[in-house]
Amino acid sequence: MAAYIVRRMLSTIAVMAMVGIFIFLLLRLSPGDPAAIIAGDAATPQMIAGIREQLGLNDPLPAQFLHWALGILSGDFGGSIFTGRPVLLLISQRLQPTISLSILTMIVSVTVGVAFGILAAWRVGGVFDRTLAAFAALGFSVPVFVVGYFLIYWFAISVRWLPVQGYQPVEHGLGPWLVHLILPTVALSFPYIAYFARITRASILEVLSEDYMRTAAAKGASSYSMLFHHALKNAGVPILTVIGISFAYLISGVVITETVFNIPGVGRLVVDAINNRDYPIIQGVLILASGLYVLVNLAVDLTYTLIDPRIRY
Amino acid sequence: MIKSGDLRVFDPILSTATITGDHGYAIYDTLFALNSKFTPQPQMVGKWSASDDKKTYTFELRNGLGWHDGTPVTAADCVASIRRWGQVAPGGKLIMARAKDISKKDEQTFTIELKEPLGLLIDVLANLANPFLFIMREKDASRPATEQVTANIGSGPFKFNEALAKPGASFTYDRNEKYVPRDDPSDGFAGGKVVNVDRVIWENISNPQTAFAALQAGEVDFLEGPPADLYPAVESDPNLALQVLDKMGWVNLLRLNCLQKPFDNVKARQAMLYLVDQAVIARVINPDPKYSHPVTSMFGNDTLYSNDENTGWYKKGGDPEKAKQLFKEGGYAGEKVVILQPTNLMGLSNAAQFLAAALRKIGINAELAPSDWGGVVTRRTNKGSVEEGGWSILITGVPDSTLSDPIGAPWLGAEGDKGFFGWPKIDEYEALRAQWADTPTVAERQVLARKMQAVWWDYVPTVLLGQGITPSARRKTLTGLIGMPGALPMWNMQKA
Repeated sequence: MAAYIVRRMLSTIAVMAMVGIFIFLLLRLSPGDPAAIIAGDAATPQMIAGIREQLGLNDPLPAQFLHWALGILSGDFGGSIFTGRPVLLLISQRLQPTISLSILTMIVSVTVGVAFGILAAWRVGGVFDRTLAAFAALGFSVPVFVVGYFLIYWFAISVRWLPVQGYQPVEHGLGPWLVHLILPTVALSFPYIAYFARITRASILEVLSEDYMRTAAAKGASSYSMLFHHALKNAGVPILTVIGISFAYLISGVVITETVFNIPGVGRLVVDAINNRDYPIIQGVLILASGLYVLVNLAVDLTYTLIDPRIRY
Repeated sequence: MIKSGDLRVFDPILSTATITGDHGYAIYDTLFALNSKFTPQPQMVGKWSASDDKKTYTFELRNGLGWHDGTPVTAADCVASIRRWGQVAPGGKLIMARAKDISKKDEQTFTIELKEPLGLLIDVLANLANPFLFIMREKDASRPATEQVTANIGSGPFKFNEALAKPGASFTYDRNEKYVPRDDPSDGFAGGKVVNVDRVIWENISNPQTAFAALQAGEVDFLEGPPADLYPAVESDPNLALQVLDKMGWVNLLRLNCLQKPFDNVKARQAMLYLVDQAVIARVINPDPKYSHPVTSMFGNDTLYSNDENTGWYKKGGDPEKAKQLFKEGGYAGEKVVILQPTNLMGLSNAAQFLAAALRKIGINAELAPSDWGGVVTRRTNKGSVEEGGWSILITGVPDSTLSDPIGAPWLGAEGDKGFFGWPKIDEYEALRAQWADTPTVAERQVLARKMQAVWWDYVPTVLLGQGITPSARRKTLTGLIGMPGALPMWNMQKA
């Protein structure tokens, strides 16, 4: 197991290196010039040329890459081309909102989604199962921003129970932190609840049709015991796989929710950086995101061993 | 407050972005400032005088000026700031070209000695075209103009709160308790800059719907330039008001690439004047007729120098048959016409699509080049042919107020490939423009403006699309906002 973890950690470094090279080249070969954006609309070509030179954007690409890569190896991700502030500082300012939103969304989605899936599988073909099917269809087809605007209209403007937008750091108090995250969490959880519920339902139904479940029923096991002790545990691996993949997608996909609810998270940081061609920020976030993605997958793989004793590395 | 756009660059000399100018007005101060009648008034300057031969100007700073770090503002700071601004601003370059010496005389006094008189010196120092002449500390202003000053330490009425700065999310400005305003009442950018609020926070809410919802819910007090489709919603809310702060607004226009086919030919450029129907295209950009107006003078609408010289021949526009004929006379042979389409600026993006359709209807091989504004500002620097990644038509907007300033506004130049994008070269016009700074009275400049415009519209370096006024939305509890073009100052406003 230890050797497996070390191998996977080493592969993380390789993945990050490849992502780094790819992103660096992709950004430099894409149209766009940060100097022109910095200079503004009224800038003359001479002003833009001067800024390009000052920023080192006229240096050969290999020299620029080497400068950046050596910085990364020494823990220096560089500074924003625009504000001059360190990339790691900018990312750290944005991490808490994104992680808060992602974790809350995962907790709500897994709790509600798995519970709904179990209930639907338990009473397959019943009213709840059919209602869940309709809910899942809605969850998959209604975009998050539409749900977000509905929630804002009802809960923030009509009855004024919750704020429209913004984020309060957790150190300002648990109450304000939670209050600002309720609407974005509900909006973002909507499709994930539908997804997890459908996957849970399908996995449990598959397990319930196994011979050993029939044997358990013949031995007089209760419905509760069959469902939670036998079916859910055996259906756990595919559910966990989906949750792991979803978590990775969630972290990289919160951009729309962050935009609708004006949450200053990593997603918005990247989108703004892309619009501004702020290369060091884009590179820094993507390098770290790729590392995180690999680590989440590793965590999921390791969790398999807890659920299914047959799995060993 | 929710501003239009995000503050990305702090240095108002390095960047000409409007929001950077607003940041500059918050934390820095200016030597002179324009009042509501666009007349320069002393601001940091207490007394000033000109020698009899108008070659030496002496400026004495008023008492009580201090930097946010606690040190006093000195004449050396002013000299360094003028020199740095003079590296990039067109008006500043003119002063530097004419100056024999700019130096401090004592801690509070400095002089500008000229090789020959410059009648508009004070007007240029109080310029209305970005980059404005903000006074910075000598150690900041000693940097090259291409290197960003990020210290954010000025002597203006607000202090930048570094600890609460969250780039891309919000910036906080605190009242500068030690700021000494002038005694005279606030008037435009001039007069006493009295701050009536303790703190102003700029929230960057990029989504207009969310921004409006936040305004409705009272989470913010001001929304700069909401989209036109939200105007009725603002007007129907008893707590909100629409207010036009910049009454002059923006003039949208086409820059034609005069270096490449087909617009290297004057007939093709004239064809564009006939083709564009401002009454229609202005509505494509700004759907509410209350806030859009046609404009035919190269000096904009309602400026001191607006005039009708040489506009009669194309005034109505919307004549595709005449446009088609002129393209033919100009030898158009099916060359690709590439229109830069800024997809993240809805009005200009719509105009690009509309224009492409109008051109195709008269047999022009028009092609859109969609990209975000970041892509447009990059591609517009390419002087090559469209096959080499160049372009034919750039759609952009400029503040109407800047069209009265042929010295400061780069889009009113015609100096060829060293000039603004499109690179028109009109020697006769440039000779007239060179006289501007030495033409002492408004009446004489009005005569000169007519001559310049006559040449301008013969050549057609730009095609005007109309003037758009953008109101802002505010909660009625927020009052005292200063309505001036070019920037949105934060002093004088009050919150009930």
